[in-house]
Parts: sequence; structure tokens; C-alpha cells
Amino acid sequence: MDLSDWELVQRCQNGDVAAFQELVARYYRKVYMVVLGILNHRDDAMEVAQEAFFRAYRSIQGFKGGSAFYTWLYRIAVNLSIDFQRRQKRGPTELRETMDEAVDNAAEGASSANDPFLDLQSKELGQRLVAAINELTPDHRAVIVMRAVEGLSYKDIGRMLGCSEGTVMSRLHYARKKLQEKLGPYL
Amino acid sequence: MKTNCETVKNSLGAWLDGELGHADAEEIRRHVEGCPACSGERRRLERVQVALRGVLETESSRVAFEPFWDGVRRRISEERPRQARLWEWARPAFYPQRIAWAVPVAIVFLLAIFSLVQYAPGWRWGVNRGNVAAVDSIDGHGFNVAVLRESKTKTTVIWLFESQEEDDEASGEPTAKDPAF
Repeated sequence: MDLSDWELVQRCQNGDVAAFQELVARYYRKVYMVVLGILNHRDDAMEVAQEAFFRAYRSIQGFKGGSAFYTWLYRIAVNLSIDFQRRQKRGPTELRETMDEAVDNAAEGASSANDPFLDLQSKELGQRLVAAINELTPDHRAVIVMRAVEGLSYKDIGRMLGCSEGTVMSRLHYARKKLQEKLGPYL
Repeated sequence: MKTNCETVKNSLGAWLDGELGHADAEEIRRHVEGCPACSGERRRLERVQVALRGVLETESSRVAFEPFWDGVRRRISEERPRQARLWEWARPAFYPQRIAWAVPVAIVFLLAIFSLVQYAPGWRWGVNRGNVAAVDSIDGHGFNVAVLRESKTKTTVIWLFESQEEDDEASGEPTAKDPAF
């Protein structure tokens, strides 16, 4: 029987670690995607995503169900990622290298077996995209990744980042414009 | 029209995200359908979105659940109860070396407080502050004048008296002049 997120949360609040394990199973990939999109570093993303779940577990007594569990969880993950990124101050090149393999795999996954040119173009686009994202600030990365990964509304994204819908819209507009400028010929 | 295209381009992202009101969304849809430039812009925006999602999905699909959960579980099992963490944080303050410093510091502090009370009678933890009885003494033409002022009841006492030493030197007898109030 599939329990709802809220039912699982209530079980966690009563000390049921297995219920929390179920929540992790439901959301770990999404959380990892968001964190990876902000950090662009596989190992760091793994660490921060695990830490986000741990913090959620530690604070779960305080979760009253006022918002969806995943909104609350993403908020923890995004804030941790932004803090982490600001502390690390890695150079874009160092970040870019870690994602190259992912880009290769993405291109292979989306490959149209009959058209090697399209495969190459897709791979090239992926590489350029990762490089272009690295040039955005963590705040801009966060909005564009949350929108791309989860299709969250501006209201939800604003709630997670502690800013207004207008700010989310303006950050998204700026981030997309920057990406389009960088990717121009590949789009 | 160029101006119109600029306006549409600024709202294109919000339109694709379904964040515009019905009337605005409809206006943009009509424009995009009839405008090759804005239609191309829409395709580019969608391509960015799809490519980004593709890269992240591919990468996340490589992360297996078990090792991920192991990392979370390890953190949970290492987590100590809140009281234990609080004690751990406060414990260094109770190390013998630190207490050895704390004792003389506490003694000096108490002595400072005691001195303040002793030599500044009005200073008693703020109580009776300003209620000061002050005594001034001046020598005026053979009389000593003592003035006592007490601030709380606003009492001033002026006390005139002859120097005992001068009387002793002059007559060797006690003086008949009593202090005058």
C-alpha cells in the first residue's frame, strides 16, 4: 500500500526510520538533480544531497505539513547547495570537467541512431550548456534548475528561496538570456 | 512589429512556464504562431530546458539508491541526542585547566566588586545610587566647618567646631564651645 508523503512524515515523527527511508527512495534522484545542477560537481552533489536528507530527518519534528514535503525538502537542499557553492569558490573549469561524462551519456541516451550529426550536435550542446551554467551565479542556477527538473511554479520556487515571484521571474529571464547568448549557434 | 516582438520575448519564458494570466497568454500565443522570429525563440528556450533536464536526468540515473541511503543512514546513526551534543559543546569549559584559570578570575572579580562597594558607598548594584551622604571639611578662621549633605532626604548639616589640638595647646582644658548645629 502506497502511503502519502504526509503519512510517511508522521511515521518518521514517531521514530520510524523505515518510513524516512521510503521518503528518501521517492525523492533522492530529484534532490540529487537539483543539487548537481547548482554545484555541477558529482561528489559534492552526492555529499550535499545526503546532508540535505539528514537535515530533513533531524528537523522532521518541526514539519507541520503546511507545505508539500518535497517543497520543504528542496528548500533545505537548495539552501545547502547555495551555501556550499559560496564556500567552495571553485573555478568553472574545475566544475566543468566533472560533468563531461554526464554530457556524453546524455547525448548517447538521446541519440537518434540514424543521425550521427545530430548526436554530435546534442553532445556539443550539452557540453556548452554545462559550461554556460557554470558562469551563472548560484541563485540563477537554482531557479533554472528547479524549473527544469521539477517544473515548479514561480510561487513554489520563490517560497523555497525566500524571494518573491517577481524575483524568480526576473532571475529566470536573466539566466535563460545568458544561456541563449552562450549557446547561440548550438540551439 | 519589432517592439511587439521585444515585449513577447521578455514574456516568452513566463508564458512557456504557464505563469501568465489567460489574456496575456492568449495574446502571446497568437503572436508566436504568426511570427517566425518569436517562434524560433520559443524553440531555443525549449531546447535549453530539455537539454538541461536531459543532462541532469542522465547523471542522476547513475546514482543507485543503496549507497545513497547508506550515506544518509550513517549520518543519522552518528547523530547524538540533543543533550549529548549540548554537553559536548559545553564540556571544554569544565576541563581542569580551564577551571584553574576560572578560580583566580572569579576571585579577582569578587574583590573588584567588594572594593567598589567599600570605597564607593553609593554603588550597591544600582540600589540607592544617588543617595550619597558627603562630608566636606574646611578650615575657616579658627573654626573647622563640616558640611554633611545627604541627597535622598535633601538634608544638609553644617557643623562648626574648634580644633581640639589648638584648645589643648592654649589651655590644656576642654573647651566650653560645643559644636554648633
